Amino acid sequence: MTESLVKIRNLSKLYPTGGGGFLALSELDLDIPSGAFMGLVGPSGSGKTTLLNIIGTLDNQSGGEIEVLGHKVSTLDAKESAALRAEKIGFIFQSYNLLPVYTVYENVELPLLLLKMPKAQRHEAVMQALTWVGITDKRKSRPNQLSGGEGQRVSIARAMVKLPQLVLADEPTANLDTENSLNILDTMLQINKDTGTTFIFATHDQKVIDYMQRVVTLIDGKKAKDDLKTGS
Amino acid sequence: MILKLAVRNIIGNGWRSLVNVLILSIVLIGMVWMQGLFDGWSRTARRQMQEWEFGDGHYEHKDFDKYDSFTWDKSNSKIPAELQSLIEQGKAVPILISAGVIYPQGRLTPITIKGIPHDQEILEIPTEYLRVEDQTGIILPAVIGTRMARSTHLEEGDILTMRWKDIHGAYNAYDIQITKIMDTPVPPVDDSQVWVDFTHLNEAKALQNSATHIVLKDDSDIVKNEQDFRFITIDESMQGTDALIDVKRLSGNLLFALLLFLAMIAIFDTQILAIFKRRREIGTMIALGMTKRQIVKLFTIEGCLYSVFAAVATSILGLPLFIYFGVSGYKIPQEMSNLSIAGTAEPIKCYYSPSMLLSTFILVLLITALASWMPTYRIARMKATDALLGKV
Repeated sequence: MTESLVKIRNLSKLYPTGGGGFLALSELDLDIPSGAFMGLVGPSGSGKTTLLNIIGTLDNQSGGEIEVLGHKVSTLDAKESAALRAEKIGFIFQSYNLLPVYTVYENVELPLLLLKMPKAQRHEAVMQALTWVGITDKRKSRPNQLSGGEGQRVSIARAMVKLPQLVLADEPTANLDTENSLNILDTMLQINKDTGTTFIFATHDQKVIDYMQRVVTLIDGKKAKDDLKTGS
Repeated sequence: MILKLAVRNIIGNGWRSLVNVLILSIVLIGMVWMQGLFDGWSRTARRQMQEWEFGDGHYEHKDFDKYDSFTWDKSNSKIPAELQSLIEQGKAVPILISAGVIYPQGRLTPITIKGIPHDQEILEIPTEYLRVEDQTGIILPAVIGTRMARSTHLEEGDILTMRWKDIHGAYNAYDIQITKIMDTPVPPVDDSQVWVDFTHLNEAKALQNSATHIVLKDDSDIVKNEQDFRFITIDESMQGTDALIDVKRLSGNLLFALLLFLAMIAIFDTQILAIFKRRREIGTMIALGMTKRQIVKLFTIEGCLYSVFAAVATSILGLPLFIYFGVSGYKIPQEMSNLSIAGTAEPIKCYYSPSMLLSTFILVLLITALASWMPTYRIARMKATDALLGKV
């Protein structure tokens, strides 16, 4: 049996509000094995992004336990969780979040700079990542010179360049047209197959859902369904 | 790594960075030029005062009070043997000071009479013109400065009466002839001063080889048995001039402090704006694995780099100005050079000492660092998830 990369037990997240608090996640149990290509789906406000942020150690849970890549998230201090993200977790955002003053190459290189990788190795890794997403010819461009699809490819390259064990993608196709969405999804699926990297998507886009091997549906912060597609 | 990212951010910010660097650079050019001018002025004044008035330090009679001419008759003593020996070796020069009066064109004019050996070679005063050729002593040669000549309308060759009081209280008078009008850059050896031969002034004052000051050529010749005299270093002699220059420096500094403050506001504003505009960027950096401390460091270094780039721009843009004022100097306007301040009579050559350059740069760097760091406290308050959404 494949070992769980993410273990979630009785997880809850309460956002304080004027009226006593908003429960974004509640009594959630989930195991995500290594190499998964799965989606967290559900309507807006169902807790998809909150769960993704907690898995990505960007946010803390209010209750329960979560273990990511063998680390109990609640026990990590700021420095340790930053190190975990820097080394093992890649992020892909809905609006790409590329740094506007950097070139494509520099954007993709940034995670490796944080890992203090030597220059020659960095160059090799960046070119490899740009090749994966088919955007080597745009490496000197700035983000404002790219189309939406190209921008998201750069975002994928930036997430993949350090060969993370886990990639968290929050609505990665929300700003893309169908053709670009399918291209991006094909690219990510191929990377998943080639590298064994685990991909977790937060989405309500049917095109994305169709690509998933496993779909966990969240409604009002609770797990409503957990569908494993056979043969995918 | 942080430095590399900061450099990228600054270059990537384009015009905004350039404007900040230019503003800082202009302030730095002004600060360096002004500090250089005042340091140059101080050095010029010191050199001139050494050459014309104080040598490498001087002995002064313990009772001498330059502000009370009524005490001057009692503020001299016979030159001690050790100092006399230095004088005979040409390593020191005695000066006897007395109050007196002259009557140019019949107008009573109080003066300071200074007796100095006509054969001395330590001070720049043209004492060779004090040699008494007419040994009958009817007419005493005298040297005055151009400012004194201008104020009394005296010219070379003029003969006039000079009165003084000897140590017994008896008034006496000589006819003096202006044998030289010297052009000295040091007002205190010019204003109301009449220079005559040391020996003759001693005789006129009924004294014997007495002096008020004894100027040393080299301060390593300080003697042990100085008796009624006390040694005054050149630094002590410069205190008044330095204090005056410092007052000028302070007023200049206030102007540049204001300019620096404005430049800091520009940087502060840029950083505040950057933190607001770059919230999503900050969130992304946190997601990529940077700690908040690293991001604060990044923003602070970014701000500090403005100073570094400004220093580079200053050395390029300001170099012609610095060289011009370092070589040709800055001529103090006539109105100001008429004031009794040493160092103003000739163009002041700016002097840029390494310590001045370094301290000015460090000052600007520290203030820039502060202006860059202050806005970053917002980063420390940011939640990564909010920052990613563009919230603060």
